[in-house]
Amino acid sequence: MRHFLVMTVFAVLASIVFGSIAKETPQERWLYGLKVFAEFMVIGLVLGWVLYFIP
Amino acid sequence: MVKSEKVIERVEPASPMAWATAAAAWLVPGLGHLMLRRWGRAALMGGAVWVCFFLGMAMGGHMFSLSTGQGSSALLQVPPMIANMGSGLLYIVCWVLDIGFADDLVQAARATYEYGNTFLLIAGLLNYLNMLDAFDIAAGRKP
Repeated sequence: MRHFLVMTVFAVLASIVFGSIAKETPQERWLYGLKVFAEFMVIGLVLGWVLYFIP
Repeated sequence: MVKSEKVIERVEPASPMAWATAAAAWLVPGLGHLMLRRWGRAALMGGAVWVCFFLGMAMGGHMFSLSTGQGSSALLQVPPMIANMGSGLLYIVCWVLDIGFADDLVQAARATYEYGNTFLLIAGLLNYLNMLDAFDIAAGRKP
């Protein structure tokens, strides 16, 4: 659980900065930030499961 | 326009103030945007770097400098050191006070040690992005 929490905090902090520097309008920035956050989480979980089966 | 004709885009040279803003943004995360009166950006982007850095320290992360390697392995310390140095004054203060630089086996055995390392590296790299953003705004290249 702690690992997941750390990953989530990391994704939030990184997506805040990525979302803030990209795009033009506030709405586009929000959407981009959410997209980056979702990508961090999904890729992190997928990689976690892939590595789980590798001894 | 003829097909072979090249469009030359002129970029105005950045003012000294833009460079000063970039330097301030590197030195203290968020300060560059504060100087530009971008309060929201300063709070969000600067705050993210501060939180990232202190979480990294709290998790027992290790910071890199040239003195932490031996022989040619000192060169391997350069890329993470550059990332750490992005935190600006936070890195300098830790370096002067020797906080987080020591090779401590007890600290390295903590479950969150590698997470801490990553958070410290990312804090610096995110601050480089903040610095570039502040520079672009100050130079009038970004609204």
